[in-house]
Amino acid sequence: MDGRASILIIEDDRKLSAALVSGIEGAGYEVKAASSAEEGFFLVHRLQPNLILLDLTLPQRNGLDILQQLREEGLDVRVLILTSHNTIEDRVAGLKTGADDYMGKPFSFPELIARIEALLRRVLPSSPGRVTIGDLELDSAARSACRDGQKLDLTAREFDLLFYLSKNSGRTVSRDMLARDVWQETSRYTPIDNVIDVQMARLRKKVDDPFRVKLLQTIRGIGFCLQEP
Amino acid sequence: MSLGARWNIRTRLTAWYVSVLAILLLIFAVIVFTFQYVTLTRQIVHDEMQDAVTVEGLLYFDNSDQLHLRQDYYSRPQSHLIVDRWMEVLDLNGVVLYRSDNLDDQSLGGPLTPGEGDSSSNERIVRLRDGSHILAISHIHGMNGRDLVIRLGYSLKPLRDRMWQFVWLLGIALLVTILLASITGQWIANKAMRPIGLMAARAEGITANNLHDRLAVTNPRDELGALAAVFNHLLERLEQSFLQLQHFTGDAAHELRTPLASLRTIGEVALSEPRSPEQYRDAISSILEETQRLYHTIDSLLLLARAETGTSEPNSDAIALAPLIDEVTNMLSVLAEEKSIQLLLQGEMQGSLAVYGERALLRIALINVLHNAIKFSPPGGIIRITLAKDNTEALITIADQGPGLREDELDSVFKRFYRGCENSSNPGNGLGLSIVKLIVERLGGSARFDSAVENGASAVLRLPYNRRN
Repeated sequence: MDGRASILIIEDDRKLSAALVSGIEGAGYEVKAASSAEEGFFLVHRLQPNLILLDLTLPQRNGLDILQQLREEGLDVRVLILTSHNTIEDRVAGLKTGADDYMGKPFSFPELIARIEALLRRVLPSSPGRVTIGDLELDSAARSACRDGQKLDLTAREFDLLFYLSKNSGRTVSRDMLARDVWQETSRYTPIDNVIDVQMARLRKKVDDPFRVKLLQTIRGIGFCLQEP
Repeated sequence: MSLGARWNIRTRLTAWYVSVLAILLLIFAVIVFTFQYVTLTRQIVHDEMQDAVTVEGLLYFDNSDQLHLRQDYYSRPQSHLIVDRWMEVLDLNGVVLYRSDNLDDQSLGGPLTPGEGDSSSNERIVRLRDGSHILAISHIHGMNGRDLVIRLGYSLKPLRDRMWQFVWLLGIALLVTILLASITGQWIANKAMRPIGLMAARAEGITANNLHDRLAVTNPRDELGALAAVFNHLLERLEQSFLQLQHFTGDAAHELRTPLASLRTIGEVALSEPRSPEQYRDAISSILEETQRLYHTIDSLLLLARAETGTSEPNSDAIALAPLIDEVTNMLSVLAEEKSIQLLLQGEMQGSLAVYGERALLRIALINVLHNAIKFSPPGGIIRITLAKDNTEALITIADQGPGLREDELDSVFKRFYRGCENSSNPGNGLGLSIVKLIVERLGGSARFDSAVENGASAVLRLPYNRRN
């Protein structure tokens, strides 16, 4: 590895592929794209990427076939499946065949980046006991939060939300990620977005409103981000 | 088996019918034949006994103690020819005293058996040298102080000839009957099967384009009429769901068009002239928000499809209702708090009332109903969530104090893409309640709004609690 992890995208939709290439490069990875199974195979062997983003519905050949062959060859590569076939059965089939992770289209880009990072991290991240962002301090053991030395009076859900945002500090967190990781919702529907928005507004009232520096930002159309401005 | 597979029902029916008929006729013929044979044999024996008694009177000993049969018995000489009898007379020592000429020195049954002609008439069949069979009887007779055994027999040939004729007759009758039966059987089977053929031809002509066509029901009370009626009913349901699907596809396409139109417009407007990065950012954000709406609509459509067709194996768990209601209420409580709405849980919240079905789906249904109630509830209002049960069903009632529903809206709110007079700040996709209805119906229950409620709207979900589906 030359410092930067390399990622191969096997995806036949050129627009999506181009957007992914540019986005993932922007996140600091080396990216190549293949638009067919054959090209994908060729590039897998030539580039030896660390991670493959694999679309399941490719022309000529099913993505699962490719995955199976890669696993039979015993290549050491992480595979993240991207597909519009997103039922539980599809997921199970994908993971059984040897995928490391699975994302249904449409997915949120911040979440994709988060998953890529998680997959490329060789060791499990030690869950930080204390997180500090600017003058905001969180203690996961005591489940307490202070800002500027002042203790914030948070509900359990608000603390979970803030803690999740702070762990992903500096990165945009989408509503999908919050629904899944904070609310533990398996399926997505309108009410949960309302709940997230309202919850976020209340959290902001406690974390940001009394202070001059605003840490919690809404990235319109994408999600939220906790960081020092 | 291979025959059964190769032949059509018509031929098979006829074959069965004819075989059964043939077997019955054969049994019948055997019985008639046996009966006839036995009767005629008895008749012969009876005649012989009578003849033996007659003969008794005609026997006489001449002077030289020789036994003779009086031949002048017959009034006319021709009558002699009628009596075609074989006869011998023995004394009890077995000495032959008389033997008719036609016996030609053969014995009519060999040596005497003990008690012959005394206790029984000893009917027997004797085969003569020339191959003819004689049915003979014996009869004991006292004469001049001596006991004589008269053996007398008739030829069996006339009887056998007659029986053969009878067999032939029966055989021919049997064949003719079976032939006629096959022809009429085939005809009847044809006649019976013709409506099925017509039905098949008609059914073959029915495709997705003319699902409104129906099979002709000639007599609704017979089996074929019932079959046609069942088939028509099937077509009816197919047509219904097909139409529903058509409407739904049309509606869905329309619904997807609206967000697409805004996407396009936002993009086109943004690019129509040079703008500040701030404005571009705004446009892109709008576009992303709009795609979120699209995602949700598509997710809802997929959910509907899933609830409608169901997976091949429904995940039937026992769903405890009280914890589920608690969970849903907790999840949405933040929305209620925001509007200072009070959520009141009432009824059997401590009980273990459970229904069977897919928990995730029922959860979505409850979330949708409660979310709807919160959406339409005025700030500071109260929403009552009541769990109750009657004999067969669990009742979940969610009553709000919102504007309520007009009489004509009670049903249409469950229609897909129906949007009432909703507040524009909270645009839904118009699928929430139709998802509720579909999910609840899949669990064997029903969803409706209570029309008797004066203020606000009261959604009532009924779920059978003793059913595993």
